[in-house]
Amino acid sequence: MSEVVYSSTVTSIGDLVPDFAEQGILVFFGRNAPSELHEFSIIHSPQIQVRAPEVGDDISLAESVYQVLAVGDVVSENLLRLGHLDLKANGLAKPEMPGDVNVEKLVLPTLKIGDRLTVISHS
Amino acid sequence: MSSYKSVVISAGKGGWGGPLTITPTESRPYIYSVTGGGIHPVAARIAELTGGVPFDGFKSSVAFDKIAVAVIDCGGTARVGVYPMKKVPTVDVHATSPAGPLAMFITADLFVSGVKPDDVKAK
Repeated sequence: MSEVVYSSTVTSIGDLVPDFAEQGILVFFGRNAPSELHEFSIIHSPQIQVRAPEVGDDISLAESVYQVLAVGDVVSENLLRLGHLDLKANGLAKPEMPGDVNVEKLVLPTLKIGDRLTVISHS
Repeated sequence: MSSYKSVVISAGKGGWGGPLTITPTESRPYIYSVTGGGIHPVAARIAELTGGVPFDGFKSSVAFDKIAVAVIDCGGTARVGVYPMKKVPTVDVHATSPAGPLAMFITADLFVSGVKPDDVKAK
């Protein structure tokens, strides 16, 4: 059975987000992140925060869906405390860094304000 | 007249970079904790030993040129590069190495990682 375990709405998008997206990386932070982090971040406001993504979940960004392949050790703490997520579309089954969430190596979408980030559990 | 003291901050187990010598000044007094859940124990330790002013980056913000040292709990992608990019000495409590889109800014004279309170010593 599928369940939404995290759901959030994009509230602003930093000027450097397209440069990071080109390298297959999207950085998310909650709205209370210091201003110097906003430049390269997608700022969002969560509505559902049951848990952080786990391997085997799907992450949907606007209309695109990505399977979660790896999750670093500090992802849960980052996401639930700070709204922080480093999403990497690199197709790797091992996290390079403790804050990484790796998904399939697919093109990342150009997000807009009001788009949704959703984590879907299938267990 | 300044009553600030110096500390030496060394890389902890599995960490990278440093050691950094940090001395707050009248114009750069802030020990800037960009971590979840308030002032991190490493930032508290630096503030205690130096006489610097602990500051929670998720509560309010301060100009880069007033920061003596930034303490982060970054999983390796984003915060890890932002403060070195602005030439602010940076302490990551997680054991990360230079990587990510901002890796070029992360140098051993500006960055040290894997740091625990015991890795901060009075000079």
